[in-house]
Amino acid sequence: MKCVRKFDARPKLDGSWKFIDDYSYPEMIHGQLLYSKCHHGYIKKINFPENYDLSEFTIVSSKDIPGENIVPEPVCDQPFMMDKEVMHYGQGILGIAHPDRKLLLKFIKETKIEYEELPAITDIKECLNNPDNVFGRELTIDHRTGKKPDPHWDHHHKIYYTPHQEQAYLEPQGMIAVWQPKDKIMFVRATCQCPFFVKEGVEAIMGDSIKEAIIETSEGIGGAFGGKEDFPSLLAGITSLLSYKSGKPVKIVLEREDDIRITTKRHPSRIEIETWTDPEAKKIMKIDIDYRLDAGAYQTLSPVVLARGVLHSISGYSIPDTFIRGRLFRSNTPSNGAFRGFGAPQAFAAMEAHIDEIAAGMNINPYKFRKKNIFKIGDEFPTTQPILENHLSDCLERVIEKSNYFQKLEEFKEWNKTHKDKKGIGISIGYHGGGYTGNGEKVLNSEVKVVIEKDATVKIFVANTDMGQGAHTTLAQMFFEAIDHPREKCLVQLPNTSKTPNSGPTVASRTIYIIGNLLRKFAFKIKDELEFENLEEYVTSNQNEFPREFRMNFVQDPSVVFDDENYVGVAYKDYSWAACVTEIYFLADTYQIELTKSWNVMDIGKVVNQKIATGQAEGGVLQGLAYGLCEFFYKSGYGRMHGFTDYALPTTLDLPEIDVEFIHTDSPIAKGLGEIPMDFPAPSVRNAFHNATGIFIDEYPLVPERIFKHLKKI
Amino acid sequence: MKFIRPNDMEGLFQNIEENNDRKYFLAGGTDINIQIKNGTIKDAEIIYIKHLKELNGIQIEKDDIVIGATTNISDILNSKIIKENLPFFQRSLESFASPLLQTSATIGGNIANGSPTADVVPLLLVLDAKLEIVSKSQIRIIELTNFFTGYKTNIMKANELIRSIIIPKKAENGFDTFFEKVGSRKSLMISKISLAGLKNISHNKFTTIKLAAGSLNEYPRRLYKIEEYLTDKSLLEIDFLKVEELLNEEITPITDLRSDKEYRYHVCVNLIRTFLNE
Repeated sequence: MKCVRKFDARPKLDGSWKFIDDYSYPEMIHGQLLYSKCHHGYIKKINFPENYDLSEFTIVSSKDIPGENIVPEPVCDQPFMMDKEVMHYGQGILGIAHPDRKLLLKFIKETKIEYEELPAITDIKECLNNPDNVFGRELTIDHRTGKKPDPHWDHHHKIYYTPHQEQAYLEPQGMIAVWQPKDKIMFVRATCQCPFFVKEGVEAIMGDSIKEAIIETSEGIGGAFGGKEDFPSLLAGITSLLSYKSGKPVKIVLEREDDIRITTKRHPSRIEIETWTDPEAKKIMKIDIDYRLDAGAYQTLSPVVLARGVLHSISGYSIPDTFIRGRLFRSNTPSNGAFRGFGAPQAFAAMEAHIDEIAAGMNINPYKFRKKNIFKIGDEFPTTQPILENHLSDCLERVIEKSNYFQKLEEFKEWNKTHKDKKGIGISIGYHGGGYTGNGEKVLNSEVKVVIEKDATVKIFVANTDMGQGAHTTLAQMFFEAIDHPREKCLVQLPNTSKTPNSGPTVASRTIYIIGNLLRKFAFKIKDELEFENLEEYVTSNQNEFPREFRMNFVQDPSVVFDDENYVGVAYKDYSWAACVTEIYFLADTYQIELTKSWNVMDIGKVVNQKIATGQAEGGVLQGLAYGLCEFFYKSGYGRMHGFTDYALPTTLDLPEIDVEFIHTDSPIAKGLGEIPMDFPAPSVRNAFHNATGIFIDEYPLVPERIFKHLKKI
Repeated sequence: MKFIRPNDMEGLFQNIEENNDRKYFLAGGTDINIQIKNGTIKDAEIIYIKHLKELNGIQIEKDDIVIGATTNISDILNSKIIKENLPFFQRSLESFASPLLQTSATIGGNIANGSPTADVVPLLLVLDAKLEIVSKSQIRIIELTNFFTGYKTNIMKANELIRSIIIPKKAENGFDTFFEKVGSRKSLMISKISLAGLKNISHNKFTTIKLAAGSLNEYPRRLYKIEEYLTDKSLLEIDFLKVEELLNEEITPITDLRSDKEYRYHVCVNLIRTFLNE
């Protein structure tokens, strides 16, 4: 629980820490993407502007690709670039490079493409409401009893919609490719989460024309949130191709407005829930969930998001008769991708809203109704995975207690009687399975490497990146705390695919949970192997043994057995649990919701670094609350927001007071933390609004215009 | 695109008079730089004026406060003169963009830019502000309420610019004040609706009412018809249906990426009601 300071805090403050745009190479030129401004159509003609010397430009299209024109993904269906038919706005058509960045941007702006337009689906509801748009594999979790619902059970049937969300990382996407023809090596400097994904991407597009792609991350990665999981593979591919063709290092850093337009976002969802509840026992007896995601034009990694969404879609309730189906829908919009929570925020936004819906219908307090139905030891997930702890329930109890929930409920009720503005309080719960789903971690077979130098410096080699979340500090801490080694003598190395073993991508709340716990074990293993009490003393007296390299692989717990075909078994070894209470103030004149207080209790197991963990939790909670409240990305009939002027990320003035408490911290395991804070808060805002006004809104976010429409309907 | 930095006022006027090209004055640059970057402004002459002392500063001149056009919003927020004389104006400007932009953006720029969402304009309108408009050979003082002629257009000739904003020293004296800026967040936002109001009451009747709205027309405007209807009435005498009807004549809200016209209209109704009731 020590608060070791982030090792990169000082260089980030003094500006010496290098982000992608701070790097330069001799003779480096600048590249950009020329992308489609048509949602669906045939490219008829590309008209370059006059008054430019075209010989100064390097231009690549799909015809220049020596390897494959398909980005490696869980489903390989997205081309790097299109030359005939474009399938969505923002699709890459050409890569263009020039020594002068400003001139290049002007040239691209003035380049006009003629299209023959084809019908396109760009509206979220148009996409998700029409089963003709389904593509990819349908997932089902079938835990039906086959019995007909009792006619006395209360029936609730609702459809919930969740919006896009923009990752809004501080540093836009960027890439530098340096072609080294002598060794046939494509060196790529990347701001990314998964260097080995980028390597696969570059090697796919370059094919046999290169011997190897070597990826090294920039020192600083200015935020990612999932946005730098798969898009960098596409960007690195095109950057590499430009470097290969021009023979010069090429840097592409996206302009912010392009980044917002063409990169991956959170999947919009339509989640239909039908429940039957026993009015006497107050127990949900049967549930049907239809979970739909707008994947965009290609599947890419959406099937994995869908899997996690489906697996979290029942929220934390034990329901004997369960049927869940998940499907992807195609639209002519950029592929949606990874985003903190990965399908789970959509699931909780719907199910946690639905729980309040049932509770209101049965006139029972939402907390009491949750308590009746929440997971307990002996219950099962819909996949039949047994529930082994009551920690979710503990989170709920603790947050109800510390927020003075019942007292506030009464206070607000009284206050609301005499005020035009209204106060409200709402609950939601959530959880997140750590690491890759099902057998994923087994397949990944992550490997880590440690080198102990002659001066007892421990160098840790992992492919996991520090994108500002403090992962490298925490990973080092897990190693040096285990063997009581000085912190300044334990350093995580900059990920580089030629030096770092593949310890997997920096995703799925797996960095500390899988790699951190592995490093901790590794530290003990090395200690046992060398039989030392103090590593420094050991190295001093056994100098001839050093430097020495050690390697270790992750071994999945044998209890994790998952049937990928039928969705039966243990989907995740360990779950992080959470519950929250959110207080709001509703302004009657302007239909705006102000967040006043946010109470959060989470079980993330052992807390390695209290300060970093709290920071992660607070940031995620804010991101989750804003997802439910104000981050409005697409307006039907008007399209997408252009930039941060219109896309309403909250500012510090919009922040509520955020209270975070971790419980069950005496666990030996540090569980997943990255995503859970984002998973659960959104529906608490919606539930608090219902508490304040008696109105349920089933579409997120709860922007004032939407609230106004609901109020006027009544 | 041509950039010019005149040495003094004489140089400035010389340039304006001689050159008939399309031109823009650059002071804070918080809006113009964006327009240049996105190509809204191109092939124009940009004349830098921020360094010209004659256009800058806050002074008391007899019964008026005179604010130079290139005075930064942060200077107004920090000004002792403004604090003592126009505290409502000063307080209300805190919601202007963000602290960072306040240090660069200028009051004259916010007016001349002519945006329907200009934050300072509704406030200045209820304070009966005037503009001092100068050219090489002429100075004219006009009421701010007569300045705009349409979306991003105004009465200035090609050889003129705003030198200062003139606000009566006692513009706020004796009034109950009201200002609400409604947007998608609390800072760094462009208003969906803004409403400024001054009122005073005597013997239960509104003796003076001044109301101005932003983001609801092609340019921020005083709501004269509503003012006229409300004046000399008590709260009980006001027919709010009539107010809504008049508001329909006074404002032309639109639906765009940012908001909806029905929402804008109804929020404006609500805010007027609250302003009168408070």
